[in-house]
Amino acid sequence: MEKFCNTFSRRDLFAVSGLAAGALAVKAQESGLSVPAGPVSVAKVVSYDLDLVSQFEQMFDQIGGLGQRVRGKTVAMKLNLTGAMGRGRQVGLSAGQTHWVHPNVVGALTTVFAKLGAKRIRLLESTFRKRYGAPLEDTLLNDGWDVNAIKNSAKIVEFEDTNGLGTAKQYSTLKVKTSRPYIFSAFSVNHSYEDCDFFVSVGKMKNHEELGVTLSMKNLFGITPELLYGLTPQPPGASQWVRERVFHYGQVAPPAGVPQEIDLTSDRYEGWRMPRLLTDLCGARPIDLAILDGIETLIGGESSGMPGTKHAKPGLLVVGANCVSTDAVAMATMGYNPRAGRHEAPFRLYKSPKDHPAEQLVPPGETQQYADNTALMGEAAGLGTADLSRIDVRGVPIKHAMYDFEAHWKGQAPV
Amino acid sequence: MQSRCLTVLPVWLFGSASIGMCAPNPSQWVPARWDGGPLELARRAKDKTLSAEAREAIAKWYQPATLDLLNGTPINALLITFSIGASSEAEAKQQQLAGKYARMARERGVAVLGVVYPGADSLAVARGAVESRLDGLVLDGEFPAGFAAKVESALRARNSSVPVVPIWRDTASARAARLSLLAVEGVRPSARNLSDMGIRAGPSAEPWIESNIWLVKSLRGGPEWRPIWINQQPNPGLLGDYVRCVADAAVAGGRWIVAPDDDLRSRLFRREAGALGTWRDIATHLKFAEDHAGWRSFLPYGNVGIIVDAASQDPEVSNEYLNLVARRQVPYRLIARSALSQELLAGFQAVLAPDLAAPTGIERLLLSDFADKGGLVVAGPWWGNVPTVEPFAEIRIGKGRAVVYKDNPPEPEAVSKDLMELLEPDVLGLSVFNVPSVISYVSTREKQALIQVLNYATLPSNRVTIRFNGNFNAARFYTPECAPINLPVHAAGNNRTELLIPQLATWGAVLLE
Repeated sequence: MEKFCNTFSRRDLFAVSGLAAGALAVKAQESGLSVPAGPVSVAKVVSYDLDLVSQFEQMFDQIGGLGQRVRGKTVAMKLNLTGAMGRGRQVGLSAGQTHWVHPNVVGALTTVFAKLGAKRIRLLESTFRKRYGAPLEDTLLNDGWDVNAIKNSAKIVEFEDTNGLGTAKQYSTLKVKTSRPYIFSAFSVNHSYEDCDFFVSVGKMKNHEELGVTLSMKNLFGITPELLYGLTPQPPGASQWVRERVFHYGQVAPPAGVPQEIDLTSDRYEGWRMPRLLTDLCGARPIDLAILDGIETLIGGESSGMPGTKHAKPGLLVVGANCVSTDAVAMATMGYNPRAGRHEAPFRLYKSPKDHPAEQLVPPGETQQYADNTALMGEAAGLGTADLSRIDVRGVPIKHAMYDFEAHWKGQAPV
Repeated sequence: MQSRCLTVLPVWLFGSASIGMCAPNPSQWVPARWDGGPLELARRAKDKTLSAEAREAIAKWYQPATLDLLNGTPINALLITFSIGASSEAEAKQQQLAGKYARMARERGVAVLGVVYPGADSLAVARGAVESRLDGLVLDGEFPAGFAAKVESALRARNSSVPVVPIWRDTASARAARLSLLAVEGVRPSARNLSDMGIRAGPSAEPWIESNIWLVKSLRGGPEWRPIWINQQPNPGLLGDYVRCVADAAVAGGRWIVAPDDDLRSRLFRREAGALGTWRDIATHLKFAEDHAGWRSFLPYGNVGIIVDAASQDPEVSNEYLNLVARRQVPYRLIARSALSQELLAGFQAVLAPDLAAPTGIERLLLSDFADKGGLVVAGPWWGNVPTVEPFAEIRIGKGRAVVYKDNPPEPEAVSKDLMELLEPDVLGLSVFNVPSVISYVSTREKQALIQVLNYATLPSNRVTIRFNGNFNAARFYTPECAPINLPVHAAGNNRTELLIPQLATWGAVLLE
C-alpha cells in the first residue's frame, strides 16, 4: 500500500485542483456532523459447512440483538448476486465461493430470522436477464442453491426479482433522507424495497474494479430496476449497459416520470459519481442490518470474469446495524484503511482503455484512475461513522481477523 | 467387454490381410494411438521435449509385452507408426517390425492400422500394408490432393480391401464425405477461465469450454450411427483429462483415438502403478461407452434446427454456430440445406439459418411459411429488413417471427447467447441449472430420453438441476465410476419433469422413461 500513497496520476492532479480529495476524508465529528456509530461484530469462520445459524445468532447478540425489530415483521434481504445469472464462474467454483453471497449464509440467515419471529422473509435481487419474469429461484438454481431447503427454513419465504415491477403494479418512489443528497434526491424501485419492515443488505466482501471495494453499501446498487431506468433509448456511443449509462457515467437521463438528477452539470466521472450515488441509495432505502460474507470470496474484482481476479478464503463474517460502520470495519479486516483517500489502496485503480469510455479516462489514455471512498461519502452524508476509533468492534478483534486483500491481489494493471 | 471376435465378417473386410484372422469389424474398432519404433523416433528427432525415458519407451514399444496393456480394456484397434517418407531402408525396418507386431496383435483379436504421415510414398505404403497384413491405414497430416485415392487404388490393385482412413482437418469436407468410418481432428477438451486467458468478461460469462460433442453430432450425417473417431492429444499435466477425452468423444456416439502422452507412455512401459491406474480409468470409461453402445441408436433431440449449408462461404463460422449453441445447452438437430422441406420443418419450433448463402426463392418461401405458422427463424441480413442500429430486429410474421441480424454473418457468440432469451423453456425443451463447465447432450428413442452431461472442470459439479419437456415417471442415472441409481423425478409444471443430479464427477447419463 505504501508505494501508492505519494503517487499521483495526471487525473489526480486534475481532481485535486477542483474538489480536494482530502476534503472528503474529513472526519464527521470535525465537520460538525453527529453520525451514528453502532457496534459491529466480526467472526472468523473457516467454512460454509460450519453451523452458521449459531454463528449469526451469536453475532446478532453481540450487536445488541434483533428480536424486537424483527418479531412479527417482514424482513427483506437484498442479496449480492453480481451479474445475477449464476453462469459467470471460475472453473470448478460456485458463484457463492467467489462473487455471490453463499447459499449457506442465506439459508442460515433465513433460519435465524424465522427463529426470531419474522412473519415473512423475502429474498430480493435484480437479475441481469433480458427476459424478465422467470422466477428468481431459477437464477439461484444456476449456482446449485437448495432453494427448497431455504423455502422450508421459515413459514413464509418469498423470492422476487426486483429488476422490474415484479408482483406490483407500480414502482415505489423512495426519497433520499440524508442531510445532503449528492446525485439523486429520490429513486424509483421495485415495491419490495418499500414493503418491508426490516431491510438487510447481504453483501460479499470483495474488491471492485471501479470502486476499490464492494460491501453492504455498494450492494444497494442492485435495487435500481434496469427495466425502468433502461426505458430511455440508448443514444449512439453510450454504454450498452443500462445502469452504466444512467448511473455510472450519467450519459442519459432516467425516463420521464422517474426522479431526475439534481445537477446535470456535475462530474460525469464514475469514480466521483458512484460513491455519491450509493450514498444516495442508502439514504433512500436505509439499511437496518448489514451483513458481509467474506468466508470465501474474490480478490481483485467484483466478478470472476475480470483478469487478475483470484479466489480466496479470508474466513470472515462481519455484521452490523450501521452500514457505514460495518463497511469500515470490513475494510479494516481486508487490510485497508477505512479512511483511505482516492490516492490510496484500494481506491487507486487501473482502468483498461478497452473497457471504459474514452471520457472516463482523464486525461485521455490515463489508466491510473481513482474512486472516492464510499464509506467516507456515507459518513459525510450523516449515515454513520467510518472512524474505527468510534466503532465498538465485538467478537474477533480486527488485528486477529485481518486478511490482507491487497497482498493477494495480482493486480489488473501492468505495474 | 464384448467379444473382439465377430461371428460374421462383412464382405468388405475380407482382403488379403484379414482372411482367416479374428480382427474385429471396423465399426467396432476402439482405437488407440500406439506410436513406436525407430521410425517414430526419427519422426520426432527434433522434438526437444522428448525425455530419455520416453525415447526408450517409444523405441521398444513394439515389444510383445506392450500388448498386455490391452488386457481388460475394450481397445481393439492399434494405430502404429508405419510410414513417414524416410529412406526405404528405415521404412522397411519399421514395417518389418510393424508386421511382426501386427501378427501378434491379431492373434489376440486386435486389429492393427498403420499410420502414414506426409512425405510417404503411396505405392510403397500400399505394398508395405499388404506385406505387413495390416487391417487398415490412417493418414495423419496434410497430404497432396488425391493421395488417399492413390493409396486406396494401390491397395485394391493388390487385392486388399482394407480401409484407408484419413484424419480430416476440414470439418465441412468430413461432413460431406460418405465414409463408413470417419476420423477427424478434434480439440483438447477443457474448461478455462476467460480471465486466465486475458479476456475481460462480464459477470455472467461462463468459462470457455473446448469440446468435440458438437463435432461428433454434426458428423453423424443421418439416422444411422457410424463410427466417428476424434484425434487429439490430451493435456498430460491434468489428471482426469484422459477420461474426459473418452467421454467428450463418446457422448454423441464417437470414439476418442486413445492417445497416451509421452510421460504416460514411458511410465506404462515401466509398469508404474500410477500410470497403470490412469490406464485403468481410461479403460473404465471406454468400457462404459461400449457397454452402452445402444445409446448410439438414440437420435439427437431438439426443437431447434440449424441449417447446415455445404456451400457456406465461411465454414469456420458455420461450425461455430454448432459449437456455441451446444455450449449454451440448447439441444438442436441439424438440417442439411439440401433436405429443406415443409415436412422436415414441421418437426421444429425454431430454425437457425444465419449464414445461408444466396437462398433460393423456394427456400425463402419455406422459411417464411414456417414462421407464419408460429416458428422462429433466426437469419442473417439475407432475410431483408436489416436493422441499422440494434444488433438484431424481431419481425412478426403471421403467428411467428423472424430475428434478423445486422452483421453478415451474425456473430456466433451473440446468436447463441441471444437464443437463451429468444426461446421459451418449452421450446428449448431442456433446462439445465448450475452447469457453467458442463455440456449436455439429449437424444431420444421412442418414449425414452437420454440426457448426458459432461463436466469439463477438474472438480465435481454439485446439484445439477434438470428440467425436460414431458412427463416421465422414472430416471436412472448412469456413470462410469458407480452402479446406476434411480433419481427422484418431480412434475415441474408446463408438462415438464424435473430432477436433481447430486454430484457429477465427469460423465453422467440420465435415462428418462
